[in-house]
Amino acid sequence: MGFAGKKKNKITKPLLWFVLIAVAVIQIFPLVWLVDFSLASSTEMFTNGLLVIPEKIQWGNYAKAFADGNFLLYLKNSILINGLAVVLVILVSIMAAFACRRMRWKLSGFVKTLLLMGMMIPIHATLLPNYKIYSQLGLTDTVWALLIPYVAFSLPQGLFLMTSFMESIPVELEEAAVMDGCGIYRIIFQIITPMLKSSIATVAIMTFLNNWNEFMMASTYLSSEKWKTLPFSVLEFTGEYSSNYAVQFAVMALTAAPAVIVYIILNKHITKGAAMGAVKG
Amino acid sequence: MKKLYSNKLVIFSLVLPGIIVFLFAILAPICLSVYYGFTDYSGMGAYSFIGIENYRQLVHDEAFWTSLKNSLLLAVGFICIQHPLALIVAAVLDKLGGKAEGFFRCVYFIPNVISVAVIAYLWKFIYNPDFGLLNNIIKVFGGKGDINWFSNETAIWAVLLVLIWHGFGWGMLIYYTGIKNIDPVLYEAAAIDGANQRQTFLKITLPLMKPVIQVNVTMAVISALKQMETVYLLTNGGPGNSTQFTANYLYQQAFKAFKYGYGNAIGVIFIIICLLATVFLNKVFEERDINPRRVKGAA
Repeated sequence: MGFAGKKKNKITKPLLWFVLIAVAVIQIFPLVWLVDFSLASSTEMFTNGLLVIPEKIQWGNYAKAFADGNFLLYLKNSILINGLAVVLVILVSIMAAFACRRMRWKLSGFVKTLLLMGMMIPIHATLLPNYKIYSQLGLTDTVWALLIPYVAFSLPQGLFLMTSFMESIPVELEEAAVMDGCGIYRIIFQIITPMLKSSIATVAIMTFLNNWNEFMMASTYLSSEKWKTLPFSVLEFTGEYSSNYAVQFAVMALTAAPAVIVYIILNKHITKGAAMGAVKG
Repeated sequence: MKKLYSNKLVIFSLVLPGIIVFLFAILAPICLSVYYGFTDYSGMGAYSFIGIENYRQLVHDEAFWTSLKNSLLLAVGFICIQHPLALIVAAVLDKLGGKAEGFFRCVYFIPNVISVAVIAYLWKFIYNPDFGLLNNIIKVFGGKGDINWFSNETAIWAVLLVLIWHGFGWGMLIYYTGIKNIDPVLYEAAAIDGANQRQTFLKITLPLMKPVIQVNVTMAVISALKQMETVYLLTNGGPGNSTQFTANYLYQQAFKAFKYGYGNAIGVIFIIICLLATVFLNKVFEERDINPRRVKGAA
């Protein structure tokens, strides 16, 4: 992508700056408000101003949120489940993309279309029947109840991106490898996969963004704490501390923090990956 | 080489995992939905087949039509408010350059990486009549600031505002990437010809962005149809069914009203609507464009 070298326009009108700053304030001020109130005490919130200056910064709100929100357990579950989903999506989509794009067989087009169909199916329509299937098979409240749908609904996009990137890899490389007596699996994993690095990153980012914040499936298929993911810190907390608003603000800020911090650190890569995935997919 | 590349067993082993996942997680539930859609199953106990009774009931179900109307309203909101704004901001941002450009791009996208759970609860507080941010802003500007945002008339607008706000960064990023892909030589040529900024935007940026706009609009319509999570936490369709969306409605019918069969019937129609909408939008844009870019819809 051509992010470099464009002649800069000399006229930076104040109006344009105003628009940019105004939009930035609209996008970010609610979050500033969130952090501000999370450090105040509940009684200080009933103010007529926009922000409060807490008399004493209430770090205790965060301590409560951290302990009672099951933060560490849910964070660990989120990382584990999303990590596994990303690895599986990449693996399965590379294999399927290679078979549909490179191998010679009659049904290749049909199978690819079939797998891509998943992109058009609304996830939430499968909530009811999947609940039935998983409870019949005893999968509810296990890690599979999340992993299977997460992989299934990210796979079409992964496959789509992988096939379009694979087209740009010259076939000659594989021909040379075949001459040397390489098998298909070695071609895929030792020659093709390393060349797909940037698309693997894109698929990983898209899969992560899709699933990290998901909670509808999680709250339908899970009942115990064991595999619940990060959004549940917020979902369960509001009932528990219904009158202690400040602590609720703290748990929201805390839950949002990991993704925001990772995003700010890796923002260039993530925006690039997300943009590539979104424009292509 | 030919022999190696048409080895059926190898091909089979490569596509098998993908097909299993597809059959198990997507096709099987759809088939099951079709099956239960013909029954009066409550979710527990015995049930019997009632033919197309659920579908007949659905046609006369006002809440269902409200949910479709709300999706349409949201799509219009995306296309008429969010996208023009996102496109303009993207075009302005593109001219900025330097550190500031990266900074604003980063800031605009931040709401997108935050969980819907946090966003929904945060906005519930923003709309709170006692200490909410929105009423306080009105007070700062001299108003009374005692508006109940989740009343019958205003609730749907409150929901739309959150969704338009939350998705802004995503739309902006796609437009921004599209604008970055435009060959700078074109801008230089326009500058030599003496075009001003407005002319450049209207005559160069906008026409060249057409395919990106089409992709983005398609994704916006589809995501408006599929909307569930924010509404589920923000209003859960209420008050009444004034902020109902299809996905939320079928969920409620199955798990709250114990009409599991009916919920599945809605699910079947919901899937058909999403498929038709995707196919329809692709067709519309295909006909108007010589070099089409196919969109399969947002996940």
